[in-house]
Amino acid sequence: MLLSFDHVTKLYGPVVGVNDMSCRIGPGITGLLGANGAGKSTMMKLASGQLRVTSGSVTLGEHDAWSSAAKRCFGFSPDINSFYEEMTGREFVYAMTRLYGYTAREARERSEQALVDVGMIDRADRHIAGCSHGMRQRIKLAQALVNDPPILLLDEPMNGIDPGGRRDIGELLIAQASKGKTILVSSHILVEVEHLADSILMIARGRIVASGTLSDVRNLIDDQPFTVQLVVEPSRRMASLLLAFDEVNSVEVRGDTLTVRTRKPAQFFARVGELVMRDAIVVHKMVSLDTGADAVFGYLEQGAP
Amino acid sequence: MNLWRAFVTLVMLSFRRLLWSASTLMVAFPLLGCALFLLRRRYTFGYEGAAFGDEQIAFGHFSEELVLLLFVSFIMPICALAYATTSIGGDREDRTLLFLLVRPIPRWLVVLAKLIATLPLVVGLVVGSFWIYCRLAGPVGRMAFDLYLPAVFYMTVAYVSLFHLFAVSFRHSTIIALVYSLFMEILIGSMPGIVKRVTVSFFGKSMIFEMGADHGLQPPNPQWFVPMTTRGAGMALVAISIAGVLLTLWIFSRREYRDLT
Repeated sequence: MLLSFDHVTKLYGPVVGVNDMSCRIGPGITGLLGANGAGKSTMMKLASGQLRVTSGSVTLGEHDAWSSAAKRCFGFSPDINSFYEEMTGREFVYAMTRLYGYTAREARERSEQALVDVGMIDRADRHIAGCSHGMRQRIKLAQALVNDPPILLLDEPMNGIDPGGRRDIGELLIAQASKGKTILVSSHILVEVEHLADSILMIARGRIVASGTLSDVRNLIDDQPFTVQLVVEPSRRMASLLLAFDEVNSVEVRGDTLTVRTRKPAQFFARVGELVMRDAIVVHKMVSLDTGADAVFGYLEQGAP
Repeated sequence: MNLWRAFVTLVMLSFRRLLWSASTLMVAFPLLGCALFLLRRRYTFGYEGAAFGDEQIAFGHFSEELVLLLFVSFIMPICALAYATTSIGGDREDRTLLFLLVRPIPRWLVVLAKLIATLPLVVGLVVGSFWIYCRLAGPVGRMAFDLYLPAVFYMTVAYVSLFHLFAVSFRHSTIIALVYSLFMEILIGSMPGIVKRVTVSFFGKSMIFEMGADHGLQPPNPQWFVPMTTRGAGMALVAISIAGVLLTLWIFSRREYRDLT
């Protein structure tokens, strides 16, 4: 099922939450990345029908996101730490399941399965008030899974979960995605979604600044500096040769190590190859320092309008 | 998936959570205080006709002191606001409302479920405590219960409806409802002229004065307080209740609650 944003603008009085945003999110895991205040939560709230668009439309399949019909199509794990604290995890997930209109028996089966899926079944009888942050995250995730929705909207689902738990939840999300579900995972810790998401949406100041796979996004940034570290011999000669090229912005020399900043990585790597062949320069090591999502995001955010 | 089942689940869930909420503890103190006052008043001075030499005088004292001053002006609005504002306002302040808004239940039905969960609780508590007080007061109390029960019932429903409207409209609805009950109702309700007709208590008191008139009950200052007929006041309270419910449903179904996340 497709989650579509079509020229969506959301204003909070004079403040722009989301600005003329258009995108289609299909099956698979899509990472929604952005700094605090970028518009991630607004996008999640619009998709889950908590907010109404100022202009444009948000649809889940055929349904307008604000309608109650759309709410059968998604499960939502919010970025809040509020529950019915007096309940146990099991009671809470069961109560949330009953609110879909299932019979008691069906709700019991579904809620138990969801607790198994998120790895909470053995701790489900603990009162929520006494649960750790990670356990609460799992309970939120469980209540989002109970109706087996085609779309999952997960707002910072890894927040507060230990590395083992992250791996478990990552595996769970991948398993859900393999069933053809559309999963939108927001995060401001980029490495969380970098290894999980099939595609990413990067937003800044209420606009989508990049979308696609991480490498696609990286290729979009042809005018942003790209940092490469080389361990070469002779390093000073290599530095002087590199500085002669237009695509090289700067070269820093520390012993045999060169830190090169370039605006055109593809041409740069071709030049290095030529130099190695022509001038008998020995390259011991060559590594790019900023292919991670953090660097990509940093660049994109600087370039956002 | 069945909408009716989801609705009933929400009603039951809300009722259970309200019953075991801090609101129950909050209303327990004034209810108990009122009972103690009543017992002291009865056994020290007596509401029996003999103590005043006239049952009509005793009835008048009971009606003015307990029914009008304590119960209608204080106990009833406190009970109504304790539950009515918490029913949706508590979920809003705790931000658990979000879990309800992302379920496939139409918004108006969510707030209707909350209202239906609240109403029997508040009506049961108010009418039940009124019955106990009237029994504690002796024969005049029993007579007062029979006469004033419709007024108490209609007023309670009107307050529940009004405070739900507050809860969907304002973030800190409990405080606003408290200020409204203790100041606006009393202040405006005490003003001369027709301005007092914007308060719920005016219509309730009108019913009480009309029903108690045959037993000698009169407004303390008849020039300032000209009661409506019982029928007219009852209809006004029903109209307030219906308008309050409809407005509550309408506002809640359209409103964004941006403070939930």
